[in-house]
Amino acid sequence: MVFSQLDFWIFFSIVLALYVALPFRAQNWMLLIASYVFYAAWDWRFLFLIMLSTCTDYLIALKMERTETQSARRFWLSVSLWTNLSVLGIFKYFNFFIESFAMLSEKFGFPVSYHALHIVLPVGISFYTFQTLSYTIDVYRRDIRATTSLRDFALFVSFFPQLVAGPIERASHLLPEVSHPRRMTWDNVTRGVVLCLIGLIKKIVIADAISPTVDTIFAMPDPSGGVILIGTWLFAIQIYCDFSGYTDIARGVARIMGFNLMLNFAQPYFSVNPQDFWRRWHISLSTWLRDYLYVPLGGNRKGKRRTQINLMLTMVLGGLWHGAAWNFVLWGAYQGTLLVLHRQLVGKLGARTDKGFGGMFLHIIKIALFFQVTCYGWLLFRASSFEQITRFTKSLLTMRWSDFSDLGFINIPVPAFAGMAVILFVDVMIEVTGNPRFYEVWLRPARAACYSILVYTLAFGATTTPSAFIYFQF
Amino acid sequence: MRSTLKTFVLTIGFLILLDGLVALLLQGPAPASLKGFFDYGASVPGKIAQMKQHPGAPGNLLAVAWLPDVIEESAVGFKAEASDEAPVMRVYGMSFAADIAHGAQTHRPDMLVDVHGGPNAPPNFSYEVFLEDRQNRKPGDVAVLGILSSTTAAMSSYSNRVWAFEQPAPYTYPVFWPEGADGLRADGPVLQSLSEEIALEAHPDLVAKWHRQLREKDGLYSESAFALPVLDASPFARLIRRALAVQSIKEKEQDINSGKGSDPYPYQEVLRRMVRDFSETARADQQIPVVLLIQTRNSQDPDLRQIFAEYLKANDIPFVATTDLQSIRDPSAFYGDGHYTGNTNKKFGQSLLDVIDREASRSVSMTRVPYSAVN
Repeated sequence: MVFSQLDFWIFFSIVLALYVALPFRAQNWMLLIASYVFYAAWDWRFLFLIMLSTCTDYLIALKMERTETQSARRFWLSVSLWTNLSVLGIFKYFNFFIESFAMLSEKFGFPVSYHALHIVLPVGISFYTFQTLSYTIDVYRRDIRATTSLRDFALFVSFFPQLVAGPIERASHLLPEVSHPRRMTWDNVTRGVVLCLIGLIKKIVIADAISPTVDTIFAMPDPSGGVILIGTWLFAIQIYCDFSGYTDIARGVARIMGFNLMLNFAQPYFSVNPQDFWRRWHISLSTWLRDYLYVPLGGNRKGKRRTQINLMLTMVLGGLWHGAAWNFVLWGAYQGTLLVLHRQLVGKLGARTDKGFGGMFLHIIKIALFFQVTCYGWLLFRASSFEQITRFTKSLLTMRWSDFSDLGFINIPVPAFAGMAVILFVDVMIEVTGNPRFYEVWLRPARAACYSILVYTLAFGATTTPSAFIYFQF
Repeated sequence: MRSTLKTFVLTIGFLILLDGLVALLLQGPAPASLKGFFDYGASVPGKIAQMKQHPGAPGNLLAVAWLPDVIEESAVGFKAEASDEAPVMRVYGMSFAADIAHGAQTHRPDMLVDVHGGPNAPPNFSYEVFLEDRQNRKPGDVAVLGILSSTTAAMSSYSNRVWAFEQPAPYTYPVFWPEGADGLRADGPVLQSLSEEIALEAHPDLVAKWHRQLREKDGLYSESAFALPVLDASPFARLIRRALAVQSIKEKEQDINSGKGSDPYPYQEVLRRMVRDFSETARADQQIPVVLLIQTRNSQDPDLRQIFAEYLKANDIPFVATTDLQSIRDPSAFYGDGHYTGNTNKKFGQSLLDVIDREASRSVSMTRVPYSAVN
């Protein structure tokens, strides 16, 4: 069941009808069952993993809550960490580490035979594992109280709008919303529907339309530098629209029911430096990594060198979170390096603000330049092998104008351009006004016209072949 | 709530207004490609009615590839061929197969090529034409059966109008089913000729029978493609119909190609029986059979080579698989519309000639094939 297909909307209509009809407690039971049904539609066999994770962390949090001894609390936290990370390790990283170890041994002249396990990656495992881990860590830190309701905790872990691709919610934020009656208001419904429309345009009209071209370019044996450049730009648009589109729909669906999920993207391609980028891209992951990895490692409190190491380590592990492959590690290292370099530059030159007309022009130049830096990162992210990264990088470095003469095969459907214009307008307006609901201050006819344009744009591009959300594989 | 309701009603109003403006634009100054984009979403009955209203319009598919006409044209052509004519390569398939045959012809310009095909023709059409065209071939001829990877699921359908939603050529063909140990049973379409199609509205019984056959027996039939032609007046409705119909047909195709769903059409088994009978029939008539396994650039199509090559080898059926010669991942091998480029077809054509030459040299009766190599 994918957000961009009719099945999901039929499912959601049924859920919504029941939600409206039921009282609060029954709503939560119904949402829990609906969430399990939603997940089982992918693969029912992995439901037990969510249940295992849920029960383990529910009980461990209660144990921690009821003991005052620090060593006992630490023990229970380590049980939670071991359980969750072991499940993640086995299902996501086991083959990767075995294969990497075998490869390394062979390089040093000690070939080893090994058996890779045929493991199917449970969809969304990285998302719900991080979400449930944050709960036990927060309880351990006494930032929040452990919940006594297994039903509410299970719903917090498996809430269907954000179960398979985030945002990675914090218990301190979502659990109170689960535990207390929500208010379904017409205002929330309108905002939710608008978010869903924007998300669907991003996913169906843009990302799915671009996807075949990106696949073609990254499957080409020897594309020119110009083709690779266009390919990375298109992938940058695809991955943004795909992932932020999913988040928008998740937030929209939740909002209709009165839940308020966290913001996950804040116009990331308007970033001017890596630090800015990570404040805008996949915010729920970057803040998770900051709060549960970077800060516990010492953050920037233990000197310059240690800060650099902490940054690199955090970003490399963040890269590895995305997938069990070396290109994700490389992408993480690339992001870490950018952050370290930027930190050093700011340390030497000081932070600057762009003021006035000249400043605005300079700001736009910075955005354009940093977009290229981001795009090279996407090349590392999308590549299928080191060999491809090397080959594509060489072609980019030796690019000529003539490379742009063989772009005839690139076929982006007209509706995708219409969708891009709409999304660019929305993102620019949010960036300029600083208000994600900028349209709410408009007069009603203007708002209505805007909504009708969103609906028409969605219909215009609804004929593309649907493809799975990229972040489902993480 | 009142405020939201007002906004909702106003939004619907703007949507209707916008739809009206788009409709006006499409009737007036909009570029032809944009008009075409919206026309793709019209209902199938609506599109066929348009074809009947404008029979001379460029690209009109109404009259193409009706089986009785194809066979009649073939018979006329065959009679016109001189009795001492050199062997002819008779191609049963679609544009892809014809392109490969013409690619072969560039290597041997004196070779005669006779193509019997339909746009996007599925194997059941090509096989049926091959069977009915038997009296229009002579010993020594080469029979080429083209199988396109994108049309395997369409073997469960009676007409392109059912599954080629955006450009529904209305011509029809039978659906074949396995019968006995290795036979095939043909289930013919109710509507068999262009004249029947043109006179269809005058025969309500035939209309009802034809639609019942499609609804009940056609493996790719989707109600969203056929229902409510009256909505074709709205460009917005056309967009929605296109999304729903294309998606619905695609899902049915995926079920057949993957063998999932409830009781999927056994296209692999039917295709195996087809190519074996094709080969045996051609050889019995002292002709050279060659199967073309043509893979489109769509990586989601079934891999014809992977599925059928072993079977073809085991049964000594000559074949050319395009994936042996050209990766579908190389975009330089394709034109924008998805057809292979001229150079790629030349490459396929050379391989086709190599197979024909090899087969000709294996058989005494085939040694008289007088192709002269021009290199």
